[in-house]
Amino acid sequence: MRALRPLLLIAGVLAAWEIASRSGLWNPLLFPSLAKIAYEFGLFLVQPERLMEAWVSLYRALGGFALAAVAGVLLGMLMGRSSLIAGLLEPLFSGTYAVPKLALFPIFIFVFGIGSLSKVALIFLECLYPIVIVTCHGARDVNRVLIWSAQNMGASRAAILRRVVIPATVPFIFAGCRVALPVAMIVVVITEMISSADGLGYLVIYSLSSLKTDRMLAVVIVISLLGLALDRALVFLRNRLVYWDRLDTYYV
Amino acid sequence: MKRIACLLLACVSIALQISADAAEPPLIRFGRGFAAEEQVWLMSARPDLTPNQGKRYQLKQILFQANPQRFQAYLAGEIDAGTAPGLSVIFANEQGLDIKVVASVCMEAAGKEWFSTTYMTKDDGPVRSVKDLKGGTVGVVGIKTATDLWARAGLLNAGLQPDKDTKVVPLGFPAMGDAVRTGKVSAGTFVEPFYSAEAAKGGLRKLFTAVDAVGYDHELLDLWFGEKFLKSNPEAVRAFLADYVAVTKYYLANTAQAKRDLHKAGFVRTPLEIYLKNADWKRDPNARVNVESLKKLSTFMREKLNWLEKPVNVDALVDQSYLPR
Repeated sequence: MRALRPLLLIAGVLAAWEIASRSGLWNPLLFPSLAKIAYEFGLFLVQPERLMEAWVSLYRALGGFALAAVAGVLLGMLMGRSSLIAGLLEPLFSGTYAVPKLALFPIFIFVFGIGSLSKVALIFLECLYPIVIVTCHGARDVNRVLIWSAQNMGASRAAILRRVVIPATVPFIFAGCRVALPVAMIVVVITEMISSADGLGYLVIYSLSSLKTDRMLAVVIVISLLGLALDRALVFLRNRLVYWDRLDTYYV
Repeated sequence: MKRIACLLLACVSIALQISADAAEPPLIRFGRGFAAEEQVWLMSARPDLTPNQGKRYQLKQILFQANPQRFQAYLAGEIDAGTAPGLSVIFANEQGLDIKVVASVCMEAAGKEWFSTTYMTKDDGPVRSVKDLKGGTVGVVGIKTATDLWARAGLLNAGLQPDKDTKVVPLGFPAMGDAVRTGKVSAGTFVEPFYSAEAAKGGLRKLFTAVDAVGYDHELLDLWFGEKFLKSNPEAVRAFLADYVAVTKYYLANTAQAKRDLHKAGFVRTPLEIYLKNADWKRDPNARVNVESLKKLSTFMREKLNWLEKPVNVDALVDQSYLPR
C-alpha cells in the first residue's frame, strides 16, 4: 500500500485530465483523451525509428551531462578548497548563473554546427553551474574538526583529501548532479525543438506542426519517463556509493 | 425625492450603456503573422482605407510567431480569424479544425515581377545543382512549414530522399545567410527582406525557387475564419472582406506609399530603403483563392510526403462566398 501511495497523485491528475477531456468544455484537439494519448504512446514504443529518436536525445543529454559532471566536480572541489581559485572563479559563476544560456544557442550553432555538438555543448554549460556551485558548497562545508583530527593524526594533504574531503563532499556532488540531470533533458529537448532533424524535441515540433496534440503529449510522456528513469538510476548509484548517508534514511 | 431622482438617473445610464453595447459592431480578433501580409497590416496601420471598420466590425490584430500557436489560440477561443499558409490550413482541416479559407493573401508565382521563396547555396561551394545536395543539409525555417515542403519537393525532383539523402533542419531566417556561407548548411531558404540583403552581400547562388520545386503557382498565405464566427457574424465578415479587398487594391496601386505607412506604424522593422526595394509576392487584387493549387498541394502532402493521414476536401475547406462580388 505504501509503495502505491505516490501513484495516487498521478492517478488523480490523470482522472482530472480525462474528466476535462470528456467534459466538452475544451476542444479535444487541445485536450485529447487519455485513450488517444495511450494509443500514440503505444505506437511510439513499437516503432523503432521513434525509439531511435529517444536514443538520439538520450546520448546528447548524457554526453553533455557527463562532461559537465567531470568538469563541474573538479572545478567545484577546487573552488571549495582553494581561496585563490574561489576568488578567481566565483565572481564568474555567480555573475553568469542567471544568464539563460539558451540565448547563446545561435552562437553555439555557428561555432559547433547544427548537429549534436552544439546541443551537447549547451547542455554541458547549463549543467555545469549547479554541479559546480553545490560541489563547491559541499567541499567548503567539510567539518573542520574532522580535518583537524586527520592533521593531528599525521595525515598528508592527499590523504585528507581522499579520506575526509571527498567522502564528505560526495553527497553534495550527487545533489548537484540530481539538479543538473533534468536540466540536461530539458535543454536537449528545447535545442532539438529549435534546430534539429532528429531527437525527441524534433518529434514534439513535428507533432505540433500538424496539430497532433495526442502524439506530442505521448512524446512528452516519453521525455518524463526518461527523466524519471535517469533520476532513479542516479539515486540508486548514490545509495550504493554513499552507503553511510542513504537518502531513504533521511525521514527515520 | 433625491433618492428617486438618483435611482432614475442610474437606470437611464445603465439603459444607455446597454444600448451602446448592443450597437457595438462585432469584434474580429485576428491572428496575424510577421511576413508577406502587408494588406492585412495596412487595415490597422491605415484605418482610413477601411470605411467599414468601427461601423460594421471592429478589428484587433494579434501577432503570432508561428502557425500552430495561432490555431491553438483559435481552439482556446482567443482569436476568431487569422492568416496561415495554405499547407497549415490543410493540416488544420485534416485534424478537424472548424475553419474556412475565405480569401487569399499572396501566392508563390513564377515571373520576374513576383518574388518566389528562393533556395541558395554558396557560390564557390561544391553544390552546383540540387543533386549535389546528397549528403548535405538544407536549412528551412521550421519543420512541416511551407519552406520545409518546398525543400522536400526540390529534393524529390532531383531524385533525392529527404531525411535519408539530405537532412532538412530548421534555422531562423536571419541566420540562414551566414549558415550557408560558413558551410553549416549546404543550402538555405531565403525570403524577403533577407533574400535581397544576402544577395547584395554576394557569395550566394540560386538553386531553385518554391515555384520550381512544386512546378506551379500556388497559394502562400490565406485568410481564414472560424466557422462559428462566420455563421454568427456573416455581415461583419462581408464588411471586413470588402475593406480587405479595397486595401489590397490600394496596396497594389500605391505599394511604395503603403510600405512607408507600414514602416511608420511599426509593422515592418526592415530599414525602409531596403523594404521599398524588396520584390513582392503576387497578390490577387480581388483576393480570390487559387483552389486548384491548394488541391495539388494537399495531394502532394499526402502522396509524396506522407504528411497527411487522410485526404482533405479542399472544396469544402474554401468558402469565397463572403468576398465582394
